[in-house]
Amino acid sequence: MSSNEIIQVENLVKVYPGGTRAVNDVSFSVNQGEFFGFLGPNGAGKSTTMKILGTLLGRTSGRAMVGGYDVARNPKEVRRAIGFAMQEVGLDDLATGWDFLVMQGLLYGMSRREAKVRTQELLELVALTDVAKRKVGAYSGGMRRRIDLAAALVHRPSILFLDEPTTGLDPQSRLAIWEHLEQLNQEGITIFLTTQMMEEADHLCERIAIIDQGEIAAEGKPSELKSEVGDDLVALTVAGEDEAERHSQAERARQLLSPLEYVDDVFAADGSVSVNVKDGGAAIPTLLQTLAKEDIAIVNLTLTSPTLDDVFLKHTGRTIRQEEAGGDEFNRVMGQWMGVSRR
Amino acid sequence: MAVFRETYYIYLRNLKVWMMPATFLPPLFISGVLYVLFAATFTEVTQLGGFSTGDYDAFLVAWIIVQAVVFSGGDSGFALLTDIMSGYFDKLLLAPINRFSILFGSLLVSGTRAMFQGVVIVVIALILGVSFKTGFLGVLALLGFAAVFGLAWACLSIIIALKTKNAQATQSSFVLFFPFVFLTTAFMPEELLSGWFRIAVKMNPVTYVTEAMRAIVVEGWEMGVILTGLWVTIATVGVLMVVTTWLYRRVTV
Repeated sequence: MSSNEIIQVENLVKVYPGGTRAVNDVSFSVNQGEFFGFLGPNGAGKSTTMKILGTLLGRTSGRAMVGGYDVARNPKEVRRAIGFAMQEVGLDDLATGWDFLVMQGLLYGMSRREAKVRTQELLELVALTDVAKRKVGAYSGGMRRRIDLAAALVHRPSILFLDEPTTGLDPQSRLAIWEHLEQLNQEGITIFLTTQMMEEADHLCERIAIIDQGEIAAEGKPSELKSEVGDDLVALTVAGEDEAERHSQAERARQLLSPLEYVDDVFAADGSVSVNVKDGGAAIPTLLQTLAKEDIAIVNLTLTSPTLDDVFLKHTGRTIRQEEAGGDEFNRVMGQWMGVSRR
Repeated sequence: MAVFRETYYIYLRNLKVWMMPATFLPPLFISGVLYVLFAATFTEVTQLGGFSTGDYDAFLVAWIIVQAVVFSGGDSGFALLTDIMSGYFDKLLLAPINRFSILFGSLLVSGTRAMFQGVVIVVIALILGVSFKTGFLGVLALLGFAAVFGLAWACLSIIIALKTKNAQATQSSFVLFFPFVFLTTAFMPEELLSGWFRIAVKMNPVTYVTEAMRAIVVEGWEMGVILTGLWVTIATVGVLMVVTTWLYRRVTV
């Protein structure tokens, strides 16, 4: 392993009492300064892995090193190196935002004066200075996530663990959190994030691991993973007086575009042309120029790219959204509750 | 030592949680009301003889403190579970602190709470005209007893909390311990009790704590009774503390 790896996980296994295998032989690494995401549905093993890395949970077997320390042997050193914001936001609802952060500072060994100065800085960073004297219990969902993020940063950690930091937030609050996280990552903090939102993983993470049923199904840059699934699809509608003209123009377009170097495949049907290309965004200008030279007019163009959901589908055979809906589980529980047996 | 500093910070935080008026006022109010009502109801009972004092208000002081401590004993476990359920407990575990400072900070609050309850009841007793045989030092000893006795019940509630992992169960299961409060020389001296009740009272450790505290109020420095009560209290706290720390270690390490 290279010395640049700040998180190293080898053959990690977690079996809960009762036999549930939440994490099954997981291995991965995260480089210093990287924004790394763990993408998967509920119950995939994301939070369990993160809790083991954060020293909140013991592992069954395997090895996990965080910031150069073994999580099982040197938990205190690991805790000093990391900031950790949880899915179930662990706040002291009865304290004011100010008191909550000062307390965090004290627990990390700061003097009261240092803790107050740091609290002031963090409140400004997460834009909560105005509500610092209000009880945390009265904060909105977005404010709670932000104060939790501030608490995780109080001791200037080099690694930040975030367990579904924007789940349940409205789009505006989500965007605010994303901006904070991008800024922190630019300042050099390594961020390890779990999410079940493809947009979030795609938007924030340089590299992701897709985890499903306790195992890593795929790992890589979001763009690479998506290109593995398939090409971008550029759909063109050609202009024409009548159906016959549109048909022949589409066929001409097919013949013109087929030989182009980066075009993998072209189909023409009913006045429409579908072009499979590696990078749709880069290909569009050339496609249009080639057609314009031959006087083929385009009236409509759409670009479709594979999503991380397609990546998840390819590797697990299901979509994350199906998993989230959890229909089977819901029916099973309701069936038991209502005394209906399922065969 | 860092652990003392950490314990102190957690103690202060938990003290703030307890000092919410809605949390600490009702138990104090009930104890005060019980004291005044029982004192008024049984005021002439000392005429029966066998009491170590003719002042029933003074006779009741020790038991009122004991019942106040037991009645609010479930609070420590409840508070711990509230923190566990809210996720704040995990936040504390994530800090690079000694994990036992979280437990000790919580237990110290229960000692403080018991002392505070003692202070309030002593003040009511003084208003009712009770004179403490052992003076100011005796009052301090009484409060010390209350604090250590409070620790025992806090340990018990934390044990129940860690076993049941249910805040409601922790508070309501404390009702099961009320017989320990009433199977004592709560209202009558032992000589006036008889039959199975007297045997049960003699077997109940709470009786010895009540008797020691009562001796301090109405008899003076009766070291035999006081030391017996002290050893019973310390032994009970010792055993419960071992079980609590063992269970806590299993949950947090």
